[in-house]
Amino acid sequence: MITIFQETQVLVCVGSGGVGKTTVAASLGILAAKEGKKVLVLTIDPAKRLAQTLGIEGSTDITKVPGQNYKGELYASVIDHKKTFDAFVERAAKKSDSAKKILNNGLYKQLSTSLSGSQEFTSLEKLYSVFESKQFDLIILDTPPTKHAIDFLYAPQKLSALFSEGVAKWFRDPEGKKSGFFGHMLQSGTKQVLKILESLTGSTFIRELGDFFMNIEQWQAQLLQRTVDVHRMLVSPTTHFCLVTSFDQAKLKEAEFFAREIRKGGYHLKTVVLNRVFPHWLNLESNITGTSQNEELLQTYSKMKTYYADREKLYQQFESRLKKDVRVFRIPDLVKDISDIKGLEELGHMIAEGEKV
Amino acid sequence: MKQEIHFVTGKGGVGKSVVAAGLALRKSREGKKVLLVELGDQSFFKDFFNEPDVAFKPRELKKNLDVALWSGETSLREYAKYLIKVEALTKLFFENAVMRAFINVAPALSELAIMGKITSGPRDYGPLVPYDCLVVDAYATGHFMALMRASKGMAQAIQFGPMGEQSRSIDTVLRNQDICHYHIVTLPEELPVREAEELKSQLANEFSLRPQVILNKFLETSVPLATLKEAQKDATSDLGRFALYLEQHQERQRGLYQETQKNFDRLIQVPLFFETDPWKLVELISERMV
Repeated sequence: MITIFQETQVLVCVGSGGVGKTTVAASLGILAAKEGKKVLVLTIDPAKRLAQTLGIEGSTDITKVPGQNYKGELYASVIDHKKTFDAFVERAAKKSDSAKKILNNGLYKQLSTSLSGSQEFTSLEKLYSVFESKQFDLIILDTPPTKHAIDFLYAPQKLSALFSEGVAKWFRDPEGKKSGFFGHMLQSGTKQVLKILESLTGSTFIRELGDFFMNIEQWQAQLLQRTVDVHRMLVSPTTHFCLVTSFDQAKLKEAEFFAREIRKGGYHLKTVVLNRVFPHWLNLESNITGTSQNEELLQTYSKMKTYYADREKLYQQFESRLKKDVRVFRIPDLVKDISDIKGLEELGHMIAEGEKV
Repeated sequence: MKQEIHFVTGKGGVGKSVVAAGLALRKSREGKKVLLVELGDQSFFKDFFNEPDVAFKPRELKKNLDVALWSGETSLREYAKYLIKVEALTKLFFENAVMRAFINVAPALSELAIMGKITSGPRDYGPLVPYDCLVVDAYATGHFMALMRASKGMAQAIQFGPMGEQSRSIDTVLRNQDICHYHIVTLPEELPVREAEELKSQLANEFSLRPQVILNKFLETSVPLATLKEAQKDATSDLGRFALYLEQHQERQRGLYQETQKNFDRLIQVPLFFETDPWKLVELISERMV
């Protein structure tokens, strides 16, 4: 059994944009299915051909990946943020007409899915609902592209802070009939704060916003409960994080920072995948160089080899600074774009091989 | 002289930041006073150039070249200070727990604050940004479109008041191609090229903009195919395997180059430099930013 999957029910693949997270998540899915698991890969925004390969192009249903012949079963799904958010609203809004009111609110329509942190929220929402259904042995989550890997963990907290800090309460009664927004402001003596907000944004904005928050106030309890449940799932010993990162000095520093932060948060980082680290032709140990009359070919070869030898040094430093219980896998650059089942299997195979070393 | 603003974007991992630094260095060498702007809470250039710190307030990197890190919160804070003028009130506003929570997630507020700050020079609004040229190391594709759409969306949603007015004026500047220049960085690889094309169409359809493309890390060699084939005969040697790699790489690269050239008005090719020293690398890239 490959250790990545040992005692693992949820595997969260995190990393900044452009590092090949989705591809790594999909090949881990294949690897798990080969091991006999019933596994689901939840993706965010797969490239077209990868979506075709997984059989999920243009659909957001949980779909059995076509053309597989594994001991286990491989399923995949694209998370539809708008749909997940709307579904959450409908569940959370106690009366159906208030759900309709929110869904029809101009600001909600325009911006519901652009609330910062909302993609992270919907990803976790979807992950949790599948997790709760207990339909799968293993769920692999491919997280939204963020500038920094750590953003994914901070985002839901930002969103729930909005509710725990009681912003909704502020906006509950913009006319100030009860001790609502204005009343509250007056009472607490922070009338100035509102004035400032109004001078920055204008009264129309405040009114729209008040309407928005008034309508979503009823989510508060649900959202907070959900945040607690999701957090419990994320810190559970059966949930493991896999950091996917590319290879350059800044990215490695970020990975080290991430590894420290994630530990501080009580999460379990088990794997680091360094993707496209070195080209597949490279063998740094070998001295056999071959011969060619062409000066440029020889020069290009030696320049690239020196370049990657320098990077190897950076890598050694990186690995020595990581904690011992984190496995690091190095994936070579295969030149081609991996998007078919065969390519994903090949990538999975390399990860499995890496484990034996 | 009118201020020029350059946005550098592209798929994650294509080398946007380093290209942006190259462009900024180039502009500074042309005699302009340049500010290289990073977005968000964490600085890439701090680690990259090994600087002690990169923050909201510009810091000098080289002659005529400064760097700053602008986030939604810091931009908004400065803007509020400018409007309110009383430090104590600004503090009261930003240190209020509810306000902090709100600012963190408010729809498009952070994007709007950042874009407001970037375009404040041409709009002649807010604190002075005393530079001839801003080079913005912007967010990756998807998030970049969120930045672009924030002012447009807000201008539509909010008709009246300062929020609406500001949004409209930001949107106008962003569409003015005498002021704002858009650069999409890509690699000679399939996915980044696809994403660059998609972004180009979105910018064209939604904002009538014509971005230029920067094809980064292009392997510039001219080893004849026959030589590569010859070297491959020794398939067990490193050089043989390398020759095969080079052949495949060049073939793919050529195809993607032609496709990219067809799709964009202007294309800049930046070679793959085997250079690990940050400033030497940025120097080499800047020479290509014509």
